[in-house]
Amino acid sequence: MVVRRILCVAEKNSISKAVAGHLGGQYQTGNIRGTQYVKNYSFDYTFNNSWGPSSVVFTAVSGHIMQQEFPSRFKNWNNTDPWDLFEAPIEKSIDEKNQPIANNIKQHAQRCSILYIWTDCDREGENIGAEIRQIALSANPRIEIKRAHFSNIERTHIIQAANNPLLLDDNQVNAIESRMELDLRTGAAFTRVLTLSLQDMIKAVDPELGIISYGSCQFPTLGFVVNQYLRVKNFVPEPFWSIKITHKKEDEKNKKPDQRPITVNFNWVRGHLFDRMAVVLLFERCLNAKFAKVIKMERKPTSKWRPLPLTTVELQKNGSRFLQMNSSRVMAVAEGLYQKGWISYPRTETDQFDREINCQALCQKQTQSREWGPHAQGLVNGNFRQPRRGTHNDKAHPPIHPVNYVEKSTLSHEEQKVYEFVVRRFLACCSDDAKGEKTTVAIDYGAEIFNATGLIVLHRNYLEVYPYEKWEDSQQLPEYQVGETFIPTEAKMTEGKTSPPHYITEPELITLMDKNGIGTDATMAEHISKIKERNYVESRPATAAGRLAAASDEGDTAPATRGRGGARGRGRGGRGGATASARGATRGVEEFVPTTLGIALIEGYENLNFSTSLSKPFLRKEMELQMKAICDGQRTRNDVVQENIERYRAVYMRTKDQMSVLKAAVNKYIVEPERSNGS
Amino acid sequence: MANNARLIQEITTFLATKSLTPNTTWLTTNLATLKPDIHLQGAKQLIYIRLLNTSLQSTIQITPSSIFPQDILNGNITSRLLKGPIPVQVMDIEDIGKSRWSQLEAIEADERGETTRGQEIVRVVRDEEDAERDQSATQTSSPSSGPHKLLLQDAKGLRVYGFELSTVTGINMNIHIGCKLVLRDVSVARGVILLEPKSVTVAGGKIEELHQTWKAGRKENLKRMANAGSSTQGG
Repeated sequence: MVVRRILCVAEKNSISKAVAGHLGGQYQTGNIRGTQYVKNYSFDYTFNNSWGPSSVVFTAVSGHIMQQEFPSRFKNWNNTDPWDLFEAPIEKSIDEKNQPIANNIKQHAQRCSILYIWTDCDREGENIGAEIRQIALSANPRIEIKRAHFSNIERTHIIQAANNPLLLDDNQVNAIESRMELDLRTGAAFTRVLTLSLQDMIKAVDPELGIISYGSCQFPTLGFVVNQYLRVKNFVPEPFWSIKITHKKEDEKNKKPDQRPITVNFNWVRGHLFDRMAVVLLFERCLNAKFAKVIKMERKPTSKWRPLPLTTVELQKNGSRFLQMNSSRVMAVAEGLYQKGWISYPRTETDQFDREINCQALCQKQTQSREWGPHAQGLVNGNFRQPRRGTHNDKAHPPIHPVNYVEKSTLSHEEQKVYEFVVRRFLACCSDDAKGEKTTVAIDYGAEIFNATGLIVLHRNYLEVYPYEKWEDSQQLPEYQVGETFIPTEAKMTEGKTSPPHYITEPELITLMDKNGIGTDATMAEHISKIKERNYVESRPATAAGRLAAASDEGDTAPATRGRGGARGRGRGGRGGATASARGATRGVEEFVPTTLGIALIEGYENLNFSTSLSKPFLRKEMELQMKAICDGQRTRNDVVQENIERYRAVYMRTKDQMSVLKAAVNKYIVEPERSNGS
Repeated sequence: MANNARLIQEITTFLATKSLTPNTTWLTTNLATLKPDIHLQGAKQLIYIRLLNTSLQSTIQITPSSIFPQDILNGNITSRLLKGPIPVQVMDIEDIGKSRWSQLEAIEADERGETTRGQEIVRVVRDEEDAERDQSATQTSSPSSGPHKLLLQDAKGLRVYGFELSTVTGINMNIHIGCKLVLRDVSVARGVILLEPKSVTVAGGKIEELHQTWKAGRKENLKRMANAGSSTQGG
């Protein structure tokens, strides 16, 4: 009997190993000459489809295998006009480091009848899948190509996926191709023209300067940081005035012996005004009125909504806020948890659970925990609520959720924190909203209105398992009757001062990038790391952020990251890279301050007065939307590339023509900072 | 020309319904510039619009009740009522519900064309928690909600501050300098006019050159006032 031979290729070794374990149970491990990171796992498996009993070799790549670059005649910066890079041919070839991996694929492809692609199910993974396909076809043109669809590494899910092979989605492949081409062309052209024009000036004062690197996501990201920095720097504090009323009143309803009267604080509905004269007049009218009159007394149920299902952007923002980890670190740790099969794929935009996902069963798995088990048990016993549905669905992955229960002690310190957050968030999603009662008393005092509110939390519900949010009882209000009048115990006019905005923090930067279409949820953390690496911004702990003792938390694995969106198409980010640089970074919420180079570049570009400035998000946002259009089959790769090249060419022309404007900014901030930049 | 007296009568009556009484000199000079064949309705409207767009000092018949009392600025009078009707024109307006600095930032963002793109380029994105954290700093850029403080001038040229005690439709930062208001049964507290819907009618109009000067100087003004506020702050 002829046994079918199937070559399976995952995106990273940890995935191939895990999937091989689920399918084969027992497997043989084979080494690959020239690389120590990727292995071949061989086993027999009977597919529950037309393939039947098969002999499987499960191997992996390590992110992108191929790289795009210009032919060598364009590589000399001094002989090549950067302008030509917008049209220069691009060669796609196997990255030298990946040659052993490619050879391994070719070798097995020759003997197999089916190539089964198991790269991660997102655009980048689809594109890596196409690279694997190209390599396999070069060795065996008749090999059949299939693609597995999976979103976590949990056993039943994997088996289900294995038995239902699909096809590669070439629209997604093309979207990534066009993005990589544009990133390569614009990155190289602008990096060269900026470096060649400005480096002599800067090197005179800063001999350390490397190249001035441009990336279509990094510049707008830097733009956000600089913009906020300038807001802080230019800020002028201003005084404002307000009126505060207090009233001491016995709580007649719950009278107890020797109970002191309750002091009720009433706040002015106008908040505060920036004109002293006006407030003095209004305050005088209050005092002249003598009596305050109750115009509203209202008790009504209120609730605090449970959170939405977890997306990547939310995970990153919360990571900074609650877990003392920056966004790239959180993603690296989450990636590790995913590879080990504890959580679902952590790169997702979806904030609604499909009906097929049995959330209740997932809660059941968490009942064994000593910490959140009792809450999970409560959900299983009848408190379970179907999670709220957000408005996003990337149609590829469910929201991030725990796939299996794992004993915390088997995880590293950082993994524990991220896993615990993912679990608690999920359980919170499946719990009921917190319920309370809100009391509002409004008074009219000299025709001005003042409010006092009180809150009683009646049922904490999701808050029981989600300590990251707070909702506390406030002071109880005594009974008032509408129409009742009283003389306030104290009425005073207060004065305050506006406080400056703070430097942009990581969660805020991520929010801005997200809202303005800079990068995808999966790449934002990398863009932020890039502008740090390139010395355009510095990060530091946000003011007043408590510094937590850096407990020993070296991860026991160093998850591979992919060089997503990397401008120069360096292929995979490999081990290290962004992850390594983030490890040494400060814990806690980070805030970003631009370097003089960062400010000079952004101010220079803004002074070019170009509506599609590189420092603004518009160009990149458009491009990101066009990627989506390619994925949806509405536009072609060629069309999108051409349109964008034309736009960037226009910006390039302007840059070149008005280099003096950029030079002036460099001069102002870097060459002669003390002269023009007093403070 | 026999009709002229009747025309003056008609127009005066019409303007009286708007609580505006022009002086004879202004009215006759203006009527003389009208085309002879203009019909009555057109003449009424034209004169009315001209009046709204001309400084009150040259248009309004001065009587004791159509101007501010001489001692209006007396700060010791805590409360008084002016019967009016008093036509006044807006010489300056400020939104005192927001810091000057935040208004300046909003204008600059607008100049960069960034606020017009709606939700997508929200530069100040705040989460609930952040909003709670610094409520004291009002850095938002919502449309002018006031209350507003106005500098009002009567037909004799006397300038008095007005404060928008409760929201008056038509008073916002888009109002034109030179816009005419009519005050009736209006309260004055320590030399400040308290503007309320029941005592103010916004008639409209503008004085073009004053408006242009004001608009051109607005950013500088906001900057100057913000700095003045912070330096008198002392400690």
